[in-house]
Order: sequence, then structure tokens, then C-alpha cells
Amino acid sequence: MKGYFGEFGGQYVPETLLPALVELEEAFAAASADKGFWEEFHGYMKDYVGRPTPLTHVKRLSEHLGIEVWLKREDLNHTGSHKINNALGQILLAARMNKKRIIAETGAGQHGVAAATACALFGLTCAVYMGSEDIERQMMNVERMRLLGAEVVPVTSGSATLKDATSEAIRDWVTNVDTTYYLIGSAIGPHPYPTIVREFQKIIGIESRQQIREKTGRLPDAVIACVGGGSNAIGIFSGFRDDPVELIGVEAYGDGKERHGASINFGVPGVLHGTRSFLLQDSDGQVIETHSISAGLDYPGVGPEHSFLSASKRARYELVDDRRALAAFKLLNRLEGIAPALESAHAVGYLEQYARDHQGAVVVVNLSGRGDKDLHTVLKEMS
Amino acid sequence: MITKAILAKEKAIIPYVTAGLPDLDTTGEILKALDEAGAAAIEIGVPFSDPMADGPVLQKASHAALQAGFCMDGLLSRMSTWSASVKAPLIVMSYINPIMRRGIRHTLKSFRENGVQGVILPDMPLDGRDVYELCRDSGLDLIRLVAPTTPLPRQKEVISQCSGFVYAVTVKGVTGARASLPVEVRQQVSNIKSFTDLPVCTGFGVSDAGQVKDMLTFADGVIVGSYLMAKIMDSSQPVQAARDAFTALLN
Repeated sequence: MKGYFGEFGGQYVPETLLPALVELEEAFAAASADKGFWEEFHGYMKDYVGRPTPLTHVKRLSEHLGIEVWLKREDLNHTGSHKINNALGQILLAARMNKKRIIAETGAGQHGVAAATACALFGLTCAVYMGSEDIERQMMNVERMRLLGAEVVPVTSGSATLKDATSEAIRDWVTNVDTTYYLIGSAIGPHPYPTIVREFQKIIGIESRQQIREKTGRLPDAVIACVGGGSNAIGIFSGFRDDPVELIGVEAYGDGKERHGASINFGVPGVLHGTRSFLLQDSDGQVIETHSISAGLDYPGVGPEHSFLSASKRARYELVDDRRALAAFKLLNRLEGIAPALESAHAVGYLEQYARDHQGAVVVVNLSGRGDKDLHTVLKEMS
Repeated sequence: MITKAILAKEKAIIPYVTAGLPDLDTTGEILKALDEAGAAAIEIGVPFSDPMADGPVLQKASHAALQAGFCMDGLLSRMSTWSASVKAPLIVMSYINPIMRRGIRHTLKSFRENGVQGVILPDMPLDGRDVYELCRDSGLDLIRLVAPTTPLPRQKEVISQCSGFVYAVTVKGVTGARASLPVEVRQQVSNIKSFTDLPVCTGFGVSDAGQVKDMLTFADGVIVGSYLMAKIMDSSQPVQAARDAFTALLN
């Protein structure tokens, strides 16, 4: 069915928003079919973002683990994460649709910074919704967004994190739907967003596939990425969907017991933010408050295409808790001189477990962002 | 029957009450008070953790009801007593997730068996046919929303899967009282009326007796939610507050 990935996805939104989703779908279809649109997109990717990002063979980590590890360096993108790929792509789309006001939600602040950056570049008004708890733990990104000219709107409802910021952005969109473009940051939300975000993040997978073949003469055994909403994972997976390559998503296991963000592992299908997907909820259908040390993975839902990839067994989804993510953060600093975002540290943190049964394997890990923004959190945890 | 109940009232006002605030027993008392005060029908709101179509007042109400321990079993166990104790038809308003979680067919059937006559689902899937048919089979009216942005072909499709009444959303935005309402509402209602015989009721944003009076010159009924819930939440005597607020709107 249109807008679904198997039984997941769809458009569960207030009636007021449906015409805007139709308009968006049509605009994206027209842009996708336009060679000029993609040339413009790739022009910005090359000369503004700095793509292609390198694929780095991390030798000391590989030796330490007994597997061959390659990192896809999305941390080296302008603004410090993969989020800029999607933000610029959607801003080009918004410009085609003649929208002058942009709204976005953000968890860790990486998408907020990317959105604010793209808006500054195109001279557009930008409001970023951010949970007040996230504002506190990601102050540096908040200041960056303000410097870029964006308004950061604190959200205090519910758990005051990404989930509530997303609800608040949707409420703004319903109210200002005529003038406003909602720049969603992950592969979540109602159709056509999960598809749009994937198409702009696919560049990660396409580059990675080409680079690993050039460098090793072969395809990897596995591709590994962290999954909150799942945009960096769907982006890199997209390059290897049709290959005999294992796709592994890593969910945030939080405290390793009760409080976490592992929707696919522990959720049941449900509807949140306009899409049907695995969802952490109680037996009454109330959404459960989540926890992860990384704000970007602190989300009770997951992109519907990941639910489909899991249900159809094309990908599997593993767990890494706060403690293992922190250990991976430190390890990558020490062995390779690379500080990963705490989100990406979850993907790195899974390697030790993977290596136990796969000695000698070749893996590509999506290092979706850089960790400067997380120093405050890491230092607090270490003290 | 909802359609009849609305058409029978000279001034059809449909109050919205968040279930379980401050507790379910009080909700039952509020329903009785509103019924005695002359409600045409009553919407019972199922609290949801993430009410994306609601403004600050109903968000707060939802949150407070969940904090106070609202659960679906509690609601269902009281529903038949409630429906027997009031003349006004009871309508459940719920986001779709709490309904789906227990199985949509099963939940709708339980509502009907406990005397509920209609449902409103603000985040229906794009194609609502399945839900419409499930409602019809369980004997429930499915009240659909038509927004100011809904194009004509979509309006026709939505209304073909609608019974009880058509809910005309007056504003682009979330629920919540507004000082003034758009003048286009009159045209919107008259458009809807041109292709359906169902009553058309307006909702979202209504905040005083003047607006109610004005709306009722062209609409068959008016839904009042945030205005009423704000009064209920502000008062230490919620039942009396509900009765007074409703009576003030009616007169």
C-alpha cells in the first residue's frame, strides 16, 4: 500500500495536515525526477558539506578486536554529523516549494544545527523545537543554533526530550501549515518523510559501497549503524540492501534494564508521530518514557522502514547500553584519535560482541557524528 | 442516536471531558451534571501520552489524568453505568494508538457494549474505510473531522465514511480556546452542508457564549473542550465548575 513498508508506515495525522503531506509528496516526486535537482544537491554535498567523507581503516581498533574495521566518517561532514545531508536536501525541496519558514525538532542538537545551518545558507527563518532536558545536556549545540540565527524553542511537556519536541513541531506545523515547511530530521513521521529522509541519506551507503570495494576489492561482511529514529542507519543500509551483506542496527539499551530506547527489541507496533512502527508503550497504548545517555537515541519509536527490515529479517537489531557506549567512546579516542558522538559510540560499542563470533570479518561502521558535543556528558559520567 | 440528539436541541452544545480528571468517579459526576445542564451529546476524551492535535489545556488534562492513574479497564468498567445514567449520547474521543493497542475491533466492540454511541479519532489513517466499516459493524457512529485545509474531493470521501455528525474544525491548529474565530467558518459549514444531510458541528477554539451563539446561527452544534477543561482544572469543585461553565455557554 502507498506510503507503507509492509505493515509499517502510513499517514496517521490530523486532517488539517493531510493536504500538506500530499503537496510534499508531489513536490518530492517532481524534484526526484529532475536531474537538475540532484546536480544541485550533489554540488552542495561536495563543495559545502565536504563529501565524499572518507572511509577510514582503523588499524589499532581492528587489531584490538581481531576484525577489520572501516569507519564511514560522517563526523567529518560540515556541522559534524550526517544530519546535514538530509537538512540541505530538504531545504532545497522547501525552496522549490517556496516555503520561507522552516521548523525542525532536535534531540542531541545535531539535526537542529544542520537545519539552522541550511536555513542560514538560504536566508530562511528557522525555529527548532528542543526538549528542555536536551537543552541542558547539549548546551553547545543550542548556542550554535542561536549563532546561526535560529530560534530554539524549549519544550517542557512530557519527558522534555526528542519525542515531545517532535510533537510540538507537529503542533506548530498544523497551526502554520500554509507558510511553514517541517524539516524532519530522522527517518520517522508520516509518509513521505521516511522515504525523503532515506533518499537524502542514501549518499552514505552509495559512497561506502564504492569506497570499501576500491580499498579492499570486496564487499564487507557486515554494515553496522546506531538506530534512534534511524536516519544514518537507513542511509548506509540503502547502499547494501541488494548485496549479501549483513545489516546490523544498534539500539540504545540505556541502563540495560528498564529504561532504554530499544523500540525494535522491546516495542510492539503502534502509532506515534503519524507513523505505525515498533513503539515502546504500555498495555494501554501509552508511550513509555525512554532513556539513553545519548540524546539522539532517546526516542520511543523508530523509522517504519527499520521495523520492516527487522520483521522481514533483512536486518537485525542489537543492544548496547550506556556503559558500553561510554567505553567505546573512550576506546576510539585512545586507539584512533577519534571522538565519536555518543550515538555513534553505540555502533562502535557493538563491535566487541560481533568480533567474538566473527574473527577476521570485514565490517563498515557508520560513524554518524563527532563527539565534541558530548564531552560534558562523558566527563560527568566518568567523575 | 447522536444525529437525532443534536437535531432535537435548539442549542446543541457538545462538551468534551477528559476521562479520569481528577479521577474516574468524578468524571461520572461531571457527565451527569453536564447532561442535566442540557448537553446534546458528550465527548469523553481518552487521555494519551502524546496528544499531537491538542493545545496546552488538553495536553495538561491528558497528562494529569494519566498521572492520576487513568487506565482503559477503569474507563470501560464505568462506561455502562455512565451511559445508563445520562440521556445524552456518549462519544469517545481517542487517539488511535490506545484503541489499536488492544485490537481495534475488540476495543470498538467493548465501547458499544458499554453504551458508547460514537467515536472520534483525530489521527485516523489516510484511508479510513477499514475503521469506518469496523465502527459500522459494531453499531458505532464514526464522527469524522473536516479541516479548513481539506480539499473538496477529500471532504466528500471523508463524509462518505462519516455518521452521527460531521465535525468541522474551525481553525488551522491544535485544540484550545481562541479570542476570535475565522470568518471563513460560516462558508466552510455551508459547503459541507451542500453535500450531506448529517448535522454539522463546529469545534476547536470556542471560548465564550458569544461565539457559541454566533456558530449556532449556521452550524447544528458546537463542541467545547479546552474552555470547559480549563474551568474544571482550575476549580476545587470540578463538578460544579463544569455545570456552571456549561450553563454560562448555553445562556
